[in-house]
Amino acid sequence: MPDTRQLETFAAGVETAVDVAGIERQLHELWQLAAESEKDPSRRQITRASLFNLVAFCETDSGRDHATETISALTSRHPCRAIVLMAEPNELRTELSASISAHCHLAGGGRKQVCCEQISIHASGKSTNQVGSAVLPLLESDLPTILWWQGNFLESPELFGHLVTVADRVVFHTSQWHKPETHLAALHRVTVEQRRCVFTDLSWTRLGIWRKLTAECFDEPPARAELDQIRSVEIGCGHGPGGMMRATLYAAWLAAQLGWSPAVASSRIHLTPQKGGPDTLTMGIISVELKSPSATFLLRKSLGEWAASATVIMPQMCTLPRKQAFELNDDASLLSQVFDQPGRDPVYERALAMAAALTETEPDPTVSGY
Amino acid sequence: MPEGQYTTNLLRAGLSTRHVPAPCVLVIFGATGDLTHRKLVPALYNLAHEGQLPPSFAIVGFARRPKTNEEFRAELEQGVQEFSRFSPINPAVWKAMAQGIYYHRSEFTDDNGYDSLGKLLEKIDRTHGTAGNRLFYLAAAPTEFTHIIQKLGAHKLVHRGRNQQVSQRIVVEKPFGGSLDTARELNHVLAGVFDEHQIFRIDHYLGKETVQNIMAMRFANEIFEPLWNQKYIDHVQITVAESIGVETRGGYYDGSGALRDMVQNHLMQLLSLVAMEPPASLEAEDIRDEKVKVLRSISPIAPAQVREFTVRGQYARGSIAGKPVVSYREEPKVAPDSRTETFVALKLFLDNWRWAGVPFYLRHGKRLPKQVAEIAIQFKALPAVLFAADQAAPVQPNVLVLRIQPDEGIAIRMNAKVPGNTLTIQPVKMDFRYGGSFGAQSPDAYERLLHDVIVGDATLFTRRDEVECSWSIMDAILEGWSLDGGAPPVAYESGTWGPAEADEFIEKDGRQWRRP
Repeated sequence: MPDTRQLETFAAGVETAVDVAGIERQLHELWQLAAESEKDPSRRQITRASLFNLVAFCETDSGRDHATETISALTSRHPCRAIVLMAEPNELRTELSASISAHCHLAGGGRKQVCCEQISIHASGKSTNQVGSAVLPLLESDLPTILWWQGNFLESPELFGHLVTVADRVVFHTSQWHKPETHLAALHRVTVEQRRCVFTDLSWTRLGIWRKLTAECFDEPPARAELDQIRSVEIGCGHGPGGMMRATLYAAWLAAQLGWSPAVASSRIHLTPQKGGPDTLTMGIISVELKSPSATFLLRKSLGEWAASATVIMPQMCTLPRKQAFELNDDASLLSQVFDQPGRDPVYERALAMAAALTETEPDPTVSGY
Repeated sequence: MPEGQYTTNLLRAGLSTRHVPAPCVLVIFGATGDLTHRKLVPALYNLAHEGQLPPSFAIVGFARRPKTNEEFRAELEQGVQEFSRFSPINPAVWKAMAQGIYYHRSEFTDDNGYDSLGKLLEKIDRTHGTAGNRLFYLAAAPTEFTHIIQKLGAHKLVHRGRNQQVSQRIVVEKPFGGSLDTARELNHVLAGVFDEHQIFRIDHYLGKETVQNIMAMRFANEIFEPLWNQKYIDHVQITVAESIGVETRGGYYDGSGALRDMVQNHLMQLLSLVAMEPPASLEAEDIRDEKVKVLRSISPIAPAQVREFTVRGQYARGSIAGKPVVSYREEPKVAPDSRTETFVALKLFLDNWRWAGVPFYLRHGKRLPKQVAEIAIQFKALPAVLFAADQAAPVQPNVLVLRIQPDEGIAIRMNAKVPGNTLTIQPVKMDFRYGGSFGAQSPDAYERLLHDVIVGDATLFTRRDEVECSWSIMDAILEGWSLDGGAPPVAYESGTWGPAEADEFIEKDGRQWRRP
């Protein structure tokens, strides 16, 4: 039975090793102790909250540390039961170990802390085949399960296959993959095969501000009439992998929404990596210019400012640029945006299908213009 | 897909943000006051920060004091720095917004001031593309409202009618009148210049996230609706408590009082939302129709019945959070023999099928122990069988509490068996807290309301008939108080939950006030 010192350690975020089979019992005892502490005002008052299960997959120590930091930042706003799963299938040693800790945040107005559990599981060697059975009993019932995969899950089909069966949503970040555009077709196939699951690419989430600024250009009826007259799209992007990937997704989104076929999209949309200083390596979209015969729509990242602007140039329309601030784009902020919007994203699914068609060497006959 | 003009913006699909409204100019009358500085402009900045304002959005501050555009912008920037929920503010966003801020000095009754305002607005239309779209915001003292509205009409600064190419609206801050007659008069003045669909009467409680959640809780969950009626509910308590006194508002408050200041608007809105029928849709008129039906079904309190159905009090000396405070009559600008109430308790009945026989107890006061707003639905007591058969240890009835502020959330009090060998029942609380579950910072109420005004969504604003219904109920109570044998409001010690008479008021019904 844990004592108050163990409870303090747990609530302070320090990991405590536990037997994999005894994780739930240990957690239950700790929360029971917390409930008893409520009667003693001199003791730390903590309460547990959870809105979903988050399974964070990684393959390295740094990935595990990043997952823990991200979860700590996330849980103040999105309380969850977090399971950090580090799998090293190529290790010779077979091992399955676990530890527990909590991320606690002060709830407004008092001394009470709202805490979320983190269960860390490390599997190496052959025990990586058992990760599914280790994770499944730890998932809280009646709550959705989100699988956040650091890295490229297409490169680990067996492991991914074990875990995707328990997930309602898979979150990944193609901008962090090696040559992500070469994987788009395979990614699209997996999303179609795993139809029960919702797939969310954080590269797509990062495009939110660009999609919004673009859409706003066409809110007014005179501008909206130009939508089906767009004949040229020039996209400037950073020259790193993230830049090209996000530019590709943006282009695919535009094409899919406007009902262009892949052939039409390829002829109208041009992506230009901008080589410059070190900044342009990590940048995503830097500029977008959409042109119709009688109007130009310009979007531009304001270098040096944490904002982007959109300008409509056409007769009778206001030419003042609209500015919008960028949100933070670290993993915690991006995941937070994802968790704020549960449910499928058919717009992303169409964009992904188009992106796959645009980047495949042979056109996919299942993807066509509307 | 055939070529041609799109009727909808295809690029908006899947975006969670709301439609960016058309370009417009916001003219704030009383722009140098507290409301503009602390609430309006910081809320507008927040909207701009999130890209919810059109690029061509201008603000004209209309007020008496001499000021240049630059001085006005600098003052507003300070307010945004201090009161915006985005800190530090984004210089690029503020700079873009500030370029559209102008100051127009004039008295509210000066015809030349309105002529020059018209010229300024035309100039802004040319430079900013605001195309004649106007929002007029009455943030001045209520005594100025009539002048301003009539001058806007007289100087042809307003176009009415739904089919106009331009959209022009007026926002009226509370208090909306001080009685049924003055509310009707103000409505009449407004109707002389604006159509009803152009008039937005603000009650900022409706912009609060938790108040909006009342409808979500009732109509997005299957489990509550079957119980939401007189068969299962014993009574409803609505408490809006303030720990502050009148502070610097003594001059205004002494002519108003708690009933006019808070009960007529905020508490009646909470009552309407709790008691309304499910609307036919989430369109503004359907929701407002249901709220008006609630107000119409309230059994009027005749002037002779005020002692039976109301209690009024006035705070005396006491202490708040350990600090001594003065009595209401000792506050600045309050008459030393003032009879204005700072505390009200009411018992109302709704004469409709759903609520017949269920009392709604409303309670509001200043200098109460803490700042809290909640709605408590107390369910009926169990029949005296099974767990409730032991009369020595009565089982507590279930209570559903909607906490509006602070610590926003919903709590349910239920009964559970205490672990052990005996069958002992104890109340336990099931608690949902916004702060613990949705850690997101909710937008300020004014952000939501201002955006709704700009896009023309009237759902969160009160309608003419709603205001007049509410005033007709209050008028009868005010008349009863004025006729009530000259009895002044009962004194209560600051820092307590009101006068003892308020406790007796509910206890004579066999009930008790909650301690929030």
